Amino acid sequence: MFNVKNLSYQYPKSKGNTIDGIDFEIKEGEIFGFLGPSGAGKSTTQKVLIKLLPNYQGEIEYKGKSLASYHDEFYEDIGVSFEMPISFSKLTAMENLAFFKKLYKNTVDVEPLLKRVGLWEDRNKKAGEYSKGMKIRLNFVRALINNPKMLFLDEPTNGLDPVNARIMKDMVLEFKQQGGTVFLTSHIMSDIEQLCDRVAFIVDGKLKEIDSPRNLKLKYGKRSVKIEYKEAGNLISKEFSMEEIKQPEFCQLLQSKEVETIHSGETTLEEIFIKVTGVGLNG
Amino acid sequence: MANLQVLVKGEFDRLNKYNLFSANFVALLFWLVIAWFFEGQELQIFIPFIFLMDSTMMTILLVGATLFYEKKEHTINSIMISPITERQYLFSKVLVNVLNSLFTVAFVSIALYLMKGVTFNYLLLVGGVIIVTVVHTMIGIRIAYMAKDFTSMLVYFIMYTFIFLLPSILILVGVISADFGRYLMILPPEVSRILINASVGEIETGKLLFGYGYLILLSIGLYRFMIKPKFMDYVMRETGV
Repeated sequence: MFNVKNLSYQYPKSKGNTIDGIDFEIKEGEIFGFLGPSGAGKSTTQKVLIKLLPNYQGEIEYKGKSLASYHDEFYEDIGVSFEMPISFSKLTAMENLAFFKKLYKNTVDVEPLLKRVGLWEDRNKKAGEYSKGMKIRLNFVRALINNPKMLFLDEPTNGLDPVNARIMKDMVLEFKQQGGTVFLTSHIMSDIEQLCDRVAFIVDGKLKEIDSPRNLKLKYGKRSVKIEYKEAGNLISKEFSMEEIKQPEFCQLLQSKEVETIHSGETTLEEIFIKVTGVGLNG
Repeated sequence: MANLQVLVKGEFDRLNKYNLFSANFVALLFWLVIAWFFEGQELQIFIPFIFLMDSTMMTILLVGATLFYEKKEHTINSIMISPITERQYLFSKVLVNVLNSLFTVAFVSIALYLMKGVTFNYLLLVGGVIIVTVVHTMIGIRIAYMAKDFTSMLVYFIMYTFIFLLPSILILVGVISADFGRYLMILPPEVSRILINASVGEIETGKLLFGYGYLILLSIGLYRFMIKPKFMDYVMRETGV
């Protein structure tokens, strides 16, 4: 879908490059996660890909053609959900959506979408009276009104309660199942783990790692099992490598001891991120 | 073209919902109340003043306010990731302000005719108001580009008014001699005053042609060199950079 080669971007008043020679590909039908701390270049990369920042260096191809060669048709193809609330505050949700809907050739019925994100009852309320979470959900519906082939989601669950975050994630997964492609930027690990087929780590404008969450966990995790058990009133902890668990000692321990916990050495994406970049996600 | 219509209609809806039309309408009523107390020569002086104020100051304020709201609510981001061009977006701003100024022309002209039986050269008035509004929409957009917030927008607006519009007003009310006006012909509000004044009085054809030519060239120059090239910088700034 997207092929990005040696992409760099420098803001006019900035001294250095915010994005510094990055290469990646977004395959059709995948959810591609972009992960990084604040100011790493996630949102800038998204803005370049959606043609809001035109003066970039490097090559970007969309569907095999240079991104720069696309005009209106590109925006017919994509939907964007920004991190911050974007709506005309004195217009109702329906009026907001009706305005944007008229700008596209191909549109969808917003009623099922509004019902799904729980805004149908409040559709005639002014957007300015919405809570932050409701505004973010309205952003998401706005991103879907043109029946896009590709979605750009910037921190899509930021400000949402767990129930609505779950609904949103389910909708993203359904979008993918129907053949859609998603570029998702986030610093929330659980979103990335639950949604993304592949994930890229960006720090200081450079990509440090790109792979599937599973492969990254295999690559950076410890291939071991840790067991905690009670013996003579004491809590004892013992770690076995994957090779060692085939040995009789491991099975014997499970059968004979009062095992309290068993943990695999699988690491989390956050730990991998810190390991790869040396930077905390909220840093 | 279809998207331009959507942008224009959307802009009118928002001007209405954000009460900017109401504010504009109240200002018109205020001018008409004042006009009620004038007769004869004084009224002849005052009529172009109403149209001048509306197509210059009100235009700058209206376009500035709409851009300010779009900036504050980040809706410009959402508009710019829609299948419309920056030219359509900017042209819609110009078109909305021109239509608004023409509404003023129609409303005030009818009201003045009913109140005072006054008529004037409507063709020259419409022509003048259109080109004056176009130029001042561009100026309003440029001011909005420079302003960091609503307060700084008002400061730039006051600076523009003080520097460029005050001499024209002083000529209009007779504080400065009209002879001095020829030196102010390079100031957009002064040219605007001359073009709008032409609808109620005599004007040299040369001055009229110069006025139209100058404002048309100024509009093209403002758009080509100060509005369009800076538009993406403005949008970029509003995307949180």
